[in-house]
Amino acid sequence: MDNPLLRPDPGLFIWTILTFLVLLTALAKFGWGPLLRALESRQQAIRQSLDDAAQAKLELERVQQESLQIIRQARVEAESIIASSRSDAERLREEMKQKARAEASAVVKNAERQIQLEAERAVQQIRHEAVDLSVMIASKLLQRNLTKEDNDRLIEEALRQVDIPRH
Amino acid sequence: MLAQEHVEHAATEVAGSFNAGEVIIEHVSNSGIDHPLIQLPKVLGIDFSVTKHVLMLWLVAATVFVVVTWTVRRYLKQDRLVPSGFMNGLELVVEFVRDSIVLPNVGKKWVLIWTPLILTLFVFILCSNAVGLIPIFEAVGILDRAVLHTGQESLLNRLIHGGSTTTGNFNVTAALATITFGSIIIAGARAHGFVKHWKNIVPHGLHWAIYPLLIPIEVLGMFVRPFALTMRLAANMTGGHIAILTILSFVFIFAEKFGGPIGLGVGFGLSVPLAALISALEVIVVLVQAYVFTLLSAVFIGMAIHVHH
Repeated sequence: MDNPLLRPDPGLFIWTILTFLVLLTALAKFGWGPLLRALESRQQAIRQSLDDAAQAKLELERVQQESLQIIRQARVEAESIIASSRSDAERLREEMKQKARAEASAVVKNAERQIQLEAERAVQQIRHEAVDLSVMIASKLLQRNLTKEDNDRLIEEALRQVDIPRH
Repeated sequence: MLAQEHVEHAATEVAGSFNAGEVIIEHVSNSGIDHPLIQLPKVLGIDFSVTKHVLMLWLVAATVFVVVTWTVRRYLKQDRLVPSGFMNGLELVVEFVRDSIVLPNVGKKWVLIWTPLILTLFVFILCSNAVGLIPIFEAVGILDRAVLHTGQESLLNRLIHGGSTTTGNFNVTAALATITFGSIIIAGARAHGFVKHWKNIVPHGLHWAIYPLLIPIEVLGMFVRPFALTMRLAANMTGGHIAILTILSFVFIFAEKFGGPIGLGVGFGLSVPLAALISALEVIVVLVQAYVFTLLSAVFIGMAIHVHH
């Protein structure tokens, strides 16, 4: 066959196989291998980071929910604290009022008793004074008005009283 | 651009009477084995001399290797692995081949084993096809004839002879198909064991009388597949070039018959636009044929792994 298009060329055939196998080995080692691994790991990384993002979103939602819960709870607690302190204050005021009233009434009572005692003592003293005065007045009166007969009779009476136990 | 250089080159070729057939064949075939670029001794009766197509194989392989590894290295050297520039294109090719050609055929388990082979086939065939569309050596030829004036036997002069599309040579495509052929056997043997792979060639559990008929058919099929791969690629690549060159030959045929001005008129009015159009078509053919060859290789390898009968 003289057609150069159909001329068998074993040399070229073998050169092609050799060239291709060398290229295949070299590329598999230095080109496709690292490239395919890099693509694979990047795919992995993208999947991982998407998963992480979804996870983070969930976490964020959870934290938000939690913080809302905490705030709500804090508000309730604050309200209860305010209410309880208000009632405490009320009670304290009531107590203090009660105490003050009690003290005041004690003071008043004391004072009353004191006054009464003083008054009684004053009355006593007045009475004593009055007795003394009356005795003095009486003695003065007696010294002036007692007649001879009266005086005798008095002496007689006194003597009689003294004499009675002799009988 | 391509067409114009074809014209100028062909113009310098024509000295005496113009023989279109001879010129065209000369332009699509390998440089003559009796005039190799580098003469090497015969081994076991096989001539290993470096012809133009061997040189083109090496050039393409070296270029592919350097471009791919350089791109991958530059990508992997970064602190943050952000693909940029050519790496994006390479990734597109790699992911396309892996996810659309290899994965559906060989399955998830074997995808990483066969992707490098299919990728290398795809890129190598694609680049070999594409180089044929760029008239590098025709440009070198013009430089030689117009400026350098090297002798008839110089390396530069010998480089001009023959086509530069290695995948248009059926010896090259046969070698590539042989790679596929071997890969099919290796794939089957790895998946099922060496003996079981050969048993899988015919379906099991049929009536015994069918086997004498079936075995030759399946064995024939085993060889027909790579043969079809060989011829499809070589014929497609050669065909486009022949079409372009034929259209460009009109210029010289008309010039010889009716004189130079008419030849030029035909050239610029008909041949150059038509040839440019077919070159554009060739760009698609280059892509499609590289795709078809690799897709069918992946399909055949997948068939050896997943036996459907």
